Amino acid sequence: MQSRTPVAFFKQVLALPGITTIAALIGAVILWEAAARLLSIPTYLLPPPSAILGSFSSIGFERWVGHIAATLRVALIGYAMSIVIAIPLAVVMMRSPFLSRTLYPLLVVVQSTPVVAIAPIIIVVLGAGDAPRIVITCLITFFPLVVSTATGLAATPPELIELSRSLRASGFRETTQIRLPFAVPYIFSALKISITLAVIGAVVAEFCASEAGVGYFIQLSTSLFKLPQAWAGLLVLAAMSLLLFQAVVLTQKLLFPWSVPKNS
Amino acid sequence: MSRTKLAFYALAATLSAGAASAADKVIFQLDWLPGGDKAPIYVCIHEGFCSEAGLEVEIASGRGSTDAISRLAAASSDIGVSDIGALMAARANEGVKVTAVMSLFNKGPHAFYVAKGGSIASVADVKGKTIATSPFTSSNVYLPLVLKDAGIDMADVKLIKADPGALGPMLMTGNADGIIAWMTDLTRYSNQGKEAGKEIIALPWSAAGLELYSASLIASDGFLAKRPQVAARFVTAYKKSVEFAKDNPEKAAAAVTAIVPELSSEDVQGSLKDTLPLIFNEVTEKDGLGVFETARLAETWHRVSEAQGIDPVKLDPETMVNRTFAATE
Repeated sequence: MQSRTPVAFFKQVLALPGITTIAALIGAVILWEAAARLLSIPTYLLPPPSAILGSFSSIGFERWVGHIAATLRVALIGYAMSIVIAIPLAVVMMRSPFLSRTLYPLLVVVQSTPVVAIAPIIIVVLGAGDAPRIVITCLITFFPLVVSTATGLAATPPELIELSRSLRASGFRETTQIRLPFAVPYIFSALKISITLAVIGAVVAEFCASEAGVGYFIQLSTSLFKLPQAWAGLLVLAAMSLLLFQAVVLTQKLLFPWSVPKNS
Repeated sequence: MSRTKLAFYALAATLSAGAASAADKVIFQLDWLPGGDKAPIYVCIHEGFCSEAGLEVEIASGRGSTDAISRLAAASSDIGVSDIGALMAARANEGVKVTAVMSLFNKGPHAFYVAKGGSIASVADVKGKTIATSPFTSSNVYLPLVLKDAGIDMADVKLIKADPGALGPMLMTGNADGIIAWMTDLTRYSNQGKEAGKEIIALPWSAAGLELYSASLIASDGFLAKRPQVAARFVTAYKKSVEFAKDNPEKAAAAVTAIVPELSSEDVQGSLKDTLPLIFNEVTEKDGLGVFETARLAETWHRVSEAQGIDPVKLDPETMVNRTFAATE
């Protein structure tokens, strides 16, 4: 049996998925900690990673769960709402050139309007509770879904459409059995973008009005000059986005394995 | 409101508080995030003054006085705290249906914060200096007036707008010669200064001649008209909570942290200590707690209208306050 050299072993380790990313991250954290200590950077400018980690425990576990659950609830309901609106809307626009011509410019106008600017108005109109935050999240997330779904539906090969029409398939069957399956990779590309936007949308909404949520927690911590605590909140948000993104990737792999690109 | 009506509300308040099987729900609107300066409403809930008055209070945090007034005007909330200057401007310009029912800060909380031993030792020294302020603070409205009183033109000050969280670091690092913040944050800035090896001092604008009412208890007109007994009971319980916070600052801080565990007791106590002199001072001794004294109210409107360039005849300040609720005991 041939024994492995240290160099070969090292190369094998480096080939493990995600290992270089993790190593780079750990290296950056060590550098950050060392710089903060050696250069005596005050915590109100840039807290060291050790202070950020320490601040996780200063907030009770139950409180963390409460804030995470509040943000997740808004992000997921807003995301689900945007899926429910965007995909049928894209289908309708594909079926009707008139509606497409009418609605598309309006959708661009909605997307071009900075949600941060209209969020306070939405909150005043819709009042307290989750409703305004869900609407804000939905506004941020639905545009990529509409555009990608419409693109996927329109990109169906014409020969498939001609075949279905020669077999006298109804418009409904053409949409559900040919166009929509063909659009699945496009839809999932948009779903991956939108899930990270959903977290951003929930946080934007929490910045404008909320009593709980990770965005609210970050704002509260900043107002109290507790920078390590605010950074801890940022890390939680990043982890949340990453997990939600991976959940969408996994869903695609489980439900539509044929739609996953071979080299992904 | 006549005295007979007032007596009726007081009687109704007493009876219904005792007999109420289901508490009346009230949404209380803060003008900012929770903190020691907002302690009375947390005291009211935690110490049971609100429930004793037959009230079930829900707190909604706000993002500035204008935000709080908008939500009260839209009836998203019933009663809350906001700067009376912002309410005066909103009443004069937009005719919002919101009324002030009790004075809280009878002195303006606005101040310059500077490092001790630096180039600014008094308000007059800000001429030619770089001053940082947050974009949405009501202090910006009064800045031209306090400068004018000190004989300084606005053009002589380099004003930088920055996020509230960035003001302290800008002062500590010397990116700004001074910052504009509220007196309620004195302890926080002092602690930040200690970390930077600097002693931070505040130059309150009230001491420089800016005499006005500031944070006040305000309510939507719909709430006052439709549920006057609830409003009367709330104001009484709130006033009791303010006095409790003065006499028991540690318990008041505990009330805040019990409801908002993200806040540390030390922070809350510091902020409350900084806030109490804005509520209890020589003006309170003369006029009483929660009172809108006619001349001071008129002077506040005079200052607000001058600062915002509003025609003073657009508002009679007496029409935007209702003193009967705070007078109910």
